[in-house]
Amino acid sequence: MTKFILRRAASSAIVLVLSVVTVFLSIRILPGDPVLLKFGAQTGATPAALDALRESAGLNHPMLVQLMIWLGGVVRGDFGTSFISQLPVSELVGQRIPATLELTFFIVVIASILSVLLVLIAIRKPGSATDRFIGYVTSIGFSTPSFIIGIILVYIFALRWHVLPSQGFKSIDLGIVQNLKLMILPAFTGAMVVSPYLIKYLRTSILETRTSSYIRTAKGKGLSSSAVLIRHILPNSIVPTLTMLGMIVGFALGGVFVIEYMFAVPGIGSLAIESASARDYSVLQGVSVVVIALFIITTFVFDMICGFVDPRQRVLQVKS
Amino acid sequence: MTFEALKQKKRMKVKLRGSASLILLLGTLAIFLLANVLSPYGPNDIGVGDHFAPPSGAHLFGTDNLGRDLLSRILFGGRITVLIALGATSIALILGSAWGILAGIRGGWIDEFLMRTADALMAVPLILFALFCISALGSSVASLILVAGILLSPSTARMARSAVKAELASPYVVSAVASGFSKVRLVWNEVMVNIAPQLLVQISINAASAVMLEATLSFVGFGLQPPNASLGTLILQGYAQIYNSIWFVLFPVITVMMTILVFNNYGEQLRLSLDSKRSSS
Repeated sequence: MTKFILRRAASSAIVLVLSVVTVFLSIRILPGDPVLLKFGAQTGATPAALDALRESAGLNHPMLVQLMIWLGGVVRGDFGTSFISQLPVSELVGQRIPATLELTFFIVVIASILSVLLVLIAIRKPGSATDRFIGYVTSIGFSTPSFIIGIILVYIFALRWHVLPSQGFKSIDLGIVQNLKLMILPAFTGAMVVSPYLIKYLRTSILETRTSSYIRTAKGKGLSSSAVLIRHILPNSIVPTLTMLGMIVGFALGGVFVIEYMFAVPGIGSLAIESASARDYSVLQGVSVVVIALFIITTFVFDMICGFVDPRQRVLQVKS
Repeated sequence: MTFEALKQKKRMKVKLRGSASLILLLGTLAIFLLANVLSPYGPNDIGVGDHFAPPSGAHLFGTDNLGRDLLSRILFGGRITVLIALGATSIALILGSAWGILAGIRGGWIDEFLMRTADALMAVPLILFALFCISALGSSVASLILVAGILLSPSTARMARSAVKAELASPYVVSAVASGFSKVRLVWNEVMVNIAPQLLVQISINAASAVMLEATLSFVGFGLQPPNASLGTLILQGYAQIYNSIWFVLFPVITVMMTILVFNNYGEQLRLSLDSKRSSS
């Protein structure tokens, strides 16, 4: 177990560092001088003033030194200041995290319920018309970008039926009913983006378990179907379920960007899009680091839980 | 019916579906690439009809807020989107397969490093990376192609690597290497040909992803500058006018979904026919 934890932690750390460095370098390598972008067009910006600004932003150091300074800040939770608003990036990102976490939570809950229900219906009779229908809907879901699902939902619920607001966000402090009402459409949009992956994964893994030899043996020795379910199927489904939950969280985090933007939810996804259009690179960097870290930590935690409940996972993952 | 005959029938069915999906794919590409022949009006001609006209004989898909013919705009927008997808797919194919094949041939720490890098890139949500690049490069057809191409490379590399690894372990390669053939030469002359079908599956999945990525980036405002429009830009414009006309957003949405489905479907059918060939041999 110790070897497993260490190995996974090391590989997560390497991926984390590599992607954070990539984030930093990609901004430096790409063309465009942030100082010029902000002040070049302003009248009275002398070259000397621009140099002074570069100096104060630390842009005059060699790239490797800049990287080290920035990494040192990141470790201490200091992501620099925004070029545009002059506010600390950590503060900007911090303000936006609650909305994203709330949305992600609802997406995960709705997607789990939706997928489990649909899969249970589908596998009652594998190959039946219902199963095939759910299969078709799922494959259309794979091909549908999130914002198209959003547009369809907005059209039906906000424009046709006038039951839900088409966009906006109210913090929970201002009243839970208002908050939930505004959350429904973005959360369902996200859930419908995530569900096809879950449905496909769940269906395959349940069918695999059902046809495996130990289930046949359990039935053959005369166990009732509920005993087979409780003693054999469920324990063996824990790992796939956990893997699945990890997957949903990952997908939900990746999917919230556009959803937050189109539903005007003030989360880190919409912050990323806003700062990208304003070319506010320091904020974009900060958001990226936070999102990547959330991603990698989630994967790591779910790997750990899987390894804890199922010893086989430890060996498998160390070997591969 | 004998078992052989049943198997034969199933193989025929797979073949038939494969051909149908190929025809659909080529048809879709042809429609968009022939936009200038098929369009009834110029894509940017203002006032060829009323504002927000519903579909009619003169304007099959209706018109937009400036009285432009929506069908013509979709055909030309689709051409741009398809060109972006094809360009991005080519970049991903060249970059990704070089990346994956190198990792697969060399193995050891080079393999480990290249694949960890691919993992790191894939750990970042696609859209986040795309935001970075587009905001630095500016939005143009060329930068959309470049960005989508680079973003699709890591997954292509993973696929190419596993295909090469499997092929390198096959008896003919092992015996050829044992009798002194150069591994690099073998990969170039023999292995590449054998993994080409698998790469083709990846190409069509990549094309679908590129269309999706283009539409998404355009929808959040990083698309082409007006009056030019890709399919994603058209959806953005239509969505802004959704209170005035449902047609304006509906037709671009349907077009994007059909295009993605056609690419994905071709990849899926190709994969199925590869599987059935493998199991029958």
